[in-house]
Amino acid sequence: RISVHSRGCLLKEVHLNVTDLGLGYQTKEELIFRYCSGPCVEAETNYDKILNNLTHNKKLDKDTPSRTCCRPIAFDDDLSFLDDNVVYHTLKKHSARKCGCV
Amino acid sequence: PAVARDNNCLNAAKACNLNDTCKKYRSSYISPCTSRVSTAEVCNKRKCHKALRQFFDKVPPKHSYGMLFCSCPLSDQTACSERRRQTIVPACSYEEKQKPNCLELQASCKTNYICRSRLADFFVNCQPEPRSLSGCLKENYADCLLAYSGLIGTVMTPNYLRSPKISVSPFCDCSNSGNNKDECDKFTEFFTENTCLRNAIQAFGNGTDVGVWQPMSPV
Repeated sequence: RISVHSRGCLLKEVHLNVTDLGLGYQTKEELIFRYCSGPCVEAETNYDKILNNLTHNKKLDKDTPSRTCCRPIAFDDDLSFLDDNVVYHTLKKHSARKCGCV
Repeated sequence: PAVARDNNCLNAAKACNLNDTCKKYRSSYISPCTSRVSTAEVCNKRKCHKALRQFFDKVPPKHSYGMLFCSCPLSDQTACSERRRQTIVPACSYEEKQKPNCLELQASCKTNYICRSRLADFFVNCQPEPRSLSGCLKENYADCLLAYSGLIGTVMTPNYLRSPKISVSPFCDCSNSGNNKDECDKFTEFFTENTCLRNAIQAFGNGTDVGVWQPMSPV
């Protein structure tokens, strides 16, 4: 279940109510939400090191380009639920399946 | 404050979404059963039925029956029972613009090999027998529930009626039966007034028929 593309960036999960997602749905249904979290220092390339040095030495004006992030590289299956007004909803790409430093 | 009464049908839906297999196949049928394909049609019924058959084929009964046969208190005609009625997404899988005659529907079922064999299974495995304690001729609730759930995703797709007691029916009635009124009534009563099926559903809902939860070992 846990994908290790770089040590540290891991798939984690938390049991939530659909309402905890803050997407505006009214329902009593629940889900397992999976997300990617952890450091990506080991996966950094020269590109990232250069960006780090350039931002530090203020050579890029006010630009701050993003560096390697621990992000989903695949999403979990869709999730469907019935709301309090008896209407079905389906969420796509709402939860991670695989993580990577990208 | 008073604690909300337990809603078994809601609890079954929660359990389904916490299980990867059930969650996957549940959304695999809810998507096609709730996607409008044109201004004229609310959904692609053929795809909805196929995905419903797959749900009952692939998901263990603990979860699929948990939602389909969840028990609701007699007094509850809303939150619990309505959720149970919505399990199969009836707006797509069940309702039609016009209610056909049940014998006509049966004839159209017999032209399809899946429907024909599943309807035959249902008549064999849910045959009522008033003299038996279980209410069934073949005293095996699991086989009756399997045969009933097998009809879901065919033209004979049954659903719960809005009635205080457990009563199910395919989407048809016996108007315009002509000389075949008696035959048609007998057919519909096998669904709506079937003690064997009703007892099987109740036994599952109350958790009194433990055998259903595990595959039966061959006798």
